[in-house]
Amino acid sequence: MSTPEHDLEQSGPGSAAQRAQPDAEELDWRRVHPVTPLVRGWAVVGAAIVILGQQSLDGGPRGGVVELITSEYWWTVLAALAAVALVGWGYSVLAWRMTTYAIGEETVHLRRGILFRQQRHARLDRLQSVDIRQPLVARFFGLCELTLETAGGTDSGVAIGFLKGSDADELRAELLARAAGLKVTKARPAEAGTQPASGTVAAPVGAPTPEGGPQVAGPHGAVEPTGAPGAPGAPDTAAGAPADAHATAAVEAPQVPVLTVPLGRLVASVVRSGAMITLVLWALAVVVVMIVTGEFAVMTASLPAVLGAGGYLFGRLTGEFDFRVAISPDGVRLRHGMLETRSQTIPPGRVQAVRLVQSVLWRGRDWWRVQVNVAGYGGGESDDKNSVLLPVGTREEALTVLSLVLPDLGVDEPRRILDAGLDGDSRTESAYVAAPRRTRILDPVAWRRNGFTVTGRALLLRRGRMVKILDVVPHERTQSLGLSQGPWQRRLGVASFQAHSTQGPVGPVASHLDAADAARLMAEQATRARTARAAAGPERWMENQGDRPGD
Amino acid sequence: MTSPFEPHDVTWNRVSPRLVTAMLVPAAISLGIPVVVGVVLAVTVSPWFWFLAGVPAAFLLWSLLLVPRQVRAIGYAERDDDLLIRKGVLFKAMVVVPYGRMQYVDVEAGPLDRKLGLAKVQLHTASVGTDAQIPGLPPDEAARLRDRLASRGEARLAGL
Repeated sequence: MSTPEHDLEQSGPGSAAQRAQPDAEELDWRRVHPVTPLVRGWAVVGAAIVILGQQSLDGGPRGGVVELITSEYWWTVLAALAAVALVGWGYSVLAWRMTTYAIGEETVHLRRGILFRQQRHARLDRLQSVDIRQPLVARFFGLCELTLETAGGTDSGVAIGFLKGSDADELRAELLARAAGLKVTKARPAEAGTQPASGTVAAPVGAPTPEGGPQVAGPHGAVEPTGAPGAPGAPDTAAGAPADAHATAAVEAPQVPVLTVPLGRLVASVVRSGAMITLVLWALAVVVVMIVTGEFAVMTASLPAVLGAGGYLFGRLTGEFDFRVAISPDGVRLRHGMLETRSQTIPPGRVQAVRLVQSVLWRGRDWWRVQVNVAGYGGGESDDKNSVLLPVGTREEALTVLSLVLPDLGVDEPRRILDAGLDGDSRTESAYVAAPRRTRILDPVAWRRNGFTVTGRALLLRRGRMVKILDVVPHERTQSLGLSQGPWQRRLGVASFQAHSTQGPVGPVASHLDAADAARLMAEQATRARTARAAAGPERWMENQGDRPGD
Repeated sequence: MTSPFEPHDVTWNRVSPRLVTAMLVPAAISLGIPVVVGVVLAVTVSPWFWFLAGVPAAFLLWSLLLVPRQVRAIGYAERDDDLLIRKGVLFKAMVVVPYGRMQYVDVEAGPLDRKLGLAKVQLHTASVGTDAQIPGLPPDEAARLRDRLASRGEARLAGL
């Protein structure tokens, strides 16, 4: 197959006028893997079985499904299930037929929908993260779903699935290389599932090749690192060399493992988590009430809540199982999950805010959890699963992970500032501007912890005594700033400051600051955010490395 | 004691006093109906229904007193690089929105607003926490502000 000619000029980051012209480009539309309908269809069958189960549980004394199964017409149930399965799979096959995707020079295109056709173009320079998800059913077939998040709010991502594992890895490498601003020559389309992975080459034009450790761990095993920029090596793929001589595999940015979370610690952290405490207290309360009143109904009434909490804990355990953090020139890479594995890539500059949090029972071990706001992750139900940078780790590990996403805090001794933010309060000598003593009536427990400090690159806000929280917001990522004051606060001459970030678990606030401090922070932070944005790195992180475009 | 809601280099623009009417009419309708029903029932059925009439009547009186002050408290100011909006009497709030962070601007006007010659401008950033709306602007001013914000936003556009 031919190599499409691309002659789009490179544009600087943020030049809104420049648009990718899909018509001008010769796109090669690809299908997702043909087994996809089988995987998707299972969802329908599963739902049918669940409904059946519910019916037979809730079914009244007569006419229940159980009765039907035990009667001589038992085959009708099977037939109905088969019909549902056929419809489900039939629909999935149609949906598969209608789903195609293409990677353009600057955009990703996805067409889907049977009755209501949808065509989605996502700009690659707006890419916020690339995740590869592998649900349990898909794992039997070795398939993955690739999700590309842009910052358009809920359901703005482009989900391409399902793809063969190696194809997904390759597509991710291609997307990241293009989003990074490297010129990528498309070699030939990998016909989904029919031929071995090969396909694309990332040929950097005037940009440095991603450099990493001596061992480059690509998806296809160890790959020789390429020496000189502009001359990518030709690593052989696992199954046979590609036909075209110029078609070298996409250079997956080399990654360096940073840390893994041991299973024992993960289990211990969940056991010591707030949800578990609540669950245990709740169960105790139920038992006590049951003994006192002698009513069993209490237990059945509280069952949904217990199941919900248990489900949350189970989800957390399986979702954060085998959590691995690695760093690559394309940003932070996370890999985790037991039943459903996820492999996330968050490019540099996409982290909007970071939170380090320690629940009360983690204090003894000095464990911390690191969460992030990434535009595009917020809003969805998988928010909780996506936004975790480190489920549990020692202070050292948590700060290491923080330094991966925010390498430079702009201070000489970041460790002192961070330590003071993690567990210092107004009694310890530190750079933090603390809430005044008179606010103890507003926040009797944690008033000493409320405070903030400003470094050259970020705003740090600390709070909480039982659950300790330190929020770090890079100056260039603040969206807007808020100040609020209630009647009691006015009487005490204090106000609360809020830095608005994108949707996600991190909501940076500094409560009950002295009014003068709050006003100064508000005024200065607006200026700092502006100058930081002007000096911020490019959206395409491999482009213009070194020389920062100043406005 | 200096208030943090009065930055020294800012002169606030006020919104139209007609906003008082625009806010009171819906309140009067939604609270007035229970008052009337309560009074009728109190006279015809039982004096207990005076309570039903009394509570919404108290709320109505409260909003009659409060709304004019609330409207006077709303202010906005265009600075070189950001827009300031403040509001609130008892619970004060102020928000600073840099032009470069704006994703889009909404201008809305309901039927009552249109009758009174009012419009609401709302700014959206990538954060859902940004509560930046200016109600009660005359339509001309709303259009001017919208265009100005859009052009300034474009000039300072900076991704996320």
